[in-house]
Amino acid sequence: MANINLKDREIECKIVYYGPGRCGKTTNLEYIFKTFRKQVTGDMVCAKTEGDRTLFFDFLPMGVGKVKGFDVRIQLYTVPGQVKYASTRKMVLREVDGLVFVADSLEVRREKNALSLKDLHQNLKEYGLSIMKIPLILQYNKRDLAEQNIPIMSIEQMEKDLNRQLKAPSFPASAVIGTGVGETLKAIIKLTLQSMKQKMGW
Amino acid sequence: MDVKERIKSLLQQADIYQAQGLLNEAKDRYMQAGQIIKQHEDVIRNKSLLSSIAAKVRAINDDMKRLEESPLLREMPEQVQEVIRTKFSFSKDDNLKDMEGAIALAKFGQYKRALREFNELLSREDIRMDVAKNIFRCHMAMDLIEDAAVQYEQWMNGNLFSVGQLGKLRFFLQNILEKKGIDRQLPMPDDPGREKEVTQEEILDISSVGITISEGVKKGETIEYDVSFQSGNVINILISSTDKYLLEHLDVGITLDQVQFYSPMAMFNGKAVVSAKSKIESGPKQGYYSLDIKIKSI
Ligand SMILES: Nc1nc2c(ncn2[C@@H]2O[C@H](COP(=O)(O)OP(=O)(O)O)[C@@H](O)[C@H]2O)c(=O)[nH]1
Ligand SMILES: [Mg+2]
Repeated sequence: MANINLKDREIECKIVYYGPGRCGKTTNLEYIFKTFRKQVTGDMVCAKTEGDRTLFFDFLPMGVGKVKGFDVRIQLYTVPGQVKYASTRKMVLREVDGLVFVADSLEVRREKNALSLKDLHQNLKEYGLSIMKIPLILQYNKRDLAEQNIPIMSIEQMEKDLNRQLKAPSFPASAVIGTGVGETLKAIIKLTLQSMKQKMGW
Repeated sequence: MDVKERIKSLLQQADIYQAQGLLNEAKDRYMQAGQIIKQHEDVIRNKSLLSSIAAKVRAINDDMKRLEESPLLREMPEQVQEVIRTKFSFSKDDNLKDMEGAIALAKFGQYKRALREFNELLSREDIRMDVAKNIFRCHMAMDLIEDAAVQYEQWMNGNLFSVGQLGKLRFFLQNILEKKGIDRQLPMPDDPGREKEVTQEEILDISSVGITISEGVKKGETIEYDVSFQSGNVINILISSTDKYLLEHLDVGITLDQVQFYSPMAMFNGKAVVSAKSKIESGPKQGYYSLDIKIKSI
């Protein structure tokens, strides 16, 4: 649940980018950091391995204006994708307000997408949250690879694989060039704020 | 698809997967390409292709190994630690918030930084015991067993913790050591090794004392006396004039290095100094010697 600070009149929302290893979560945040300079309120902090892979999380703080006189601060996080970092993923997920599930469009990653979504589902459940109820956006990333003749899945296929029951809003994207990154971000912020307002009875 | 096209496509995929860090997928594609090349040696003229693929697979294997061996934890830059400390602490209560921040650092394996935070939190009396236990946990997580023991002994000789609290901390740490199969006996908080100036308020009611003789023919012998009265850290005992040997040795100013103090609650060891000695001239205890003993440390 969003952290509401009455004294400083601030609302903090936590949005987590989830997904299998190497699907492009960090690339999403990097693009946001570069592109939304006005909204970004601090450094992007990357807790990574020596080999530049996400070890704990990436963190990016943003400010997105006011709601009812409250400054709305959004904190974006990514999780490490590799299976062995299960406990870290769960720690990052604590008190999450909104989720972006980044799926890898590469055919070779089809199974990994499904496993990661299942892992998300399970972790949320352990925090007493439901994947069906929490603000959630799906992003089908690396669409650009089709042009290089790399086998990728069709959007229909991915919808069927991942979104048949969830029916979450979804966006195709190419995080390296930025396509779809802003749309995804705006959509998840909108959903998260809506859900927060509803909980507050605003 | 014609063989050459298939090989080309596989290698192209492999290159991209590798660039994206999808090592298993890249390796798989290189291997497939290699197999097709072997099966069609007649049509593939480029003989160096196979060896260049083999080199790539070797490089991927090395990368995989490096990744696998890369530590799950590492000391992060200050900026990352600040995010952990401030953003992974969820309590609304200020004391608990700082405590949770330090615990989060430990959970993310940032033990050195966590220790710094915990040490600052020791100043807060209401959470001090939990902080102390967490300090031990950090030492243990870093495998610095001796540091934990030294820390305990430091606390034992300081005045941050009461004897009761020290007892609990000792129990806590000793337990961990035993579970880890480490043979290291921590001193009891009321051991004679503990040099601590005693103040009036700290002294319990003492009902009797045992004085161990440190020299002479009776060396090592402990003689017990009932306490006739006590005023703060000074206790008074009566010694019969027939105990000549003792009377000769217990002169004013003499330090007694081995005294057992018995209170209704507990027994503890300490040091004391003979502060007064006088012969009782009248009354039922006439002929006895009255001895004042001042407790120096317990
Ligand atoms: N072609 C292409 N590559 C991408 C895209 N997004 C990410 N990548 C690459 O995929 C690799 C993994 O990306 P990263 O953001 O670190 O993945 P993470 O593990 O989810 O954080 C990197 O080499 C990125 O450059 C994309 O949209 N298209
Ligand atoms: Mg990452």
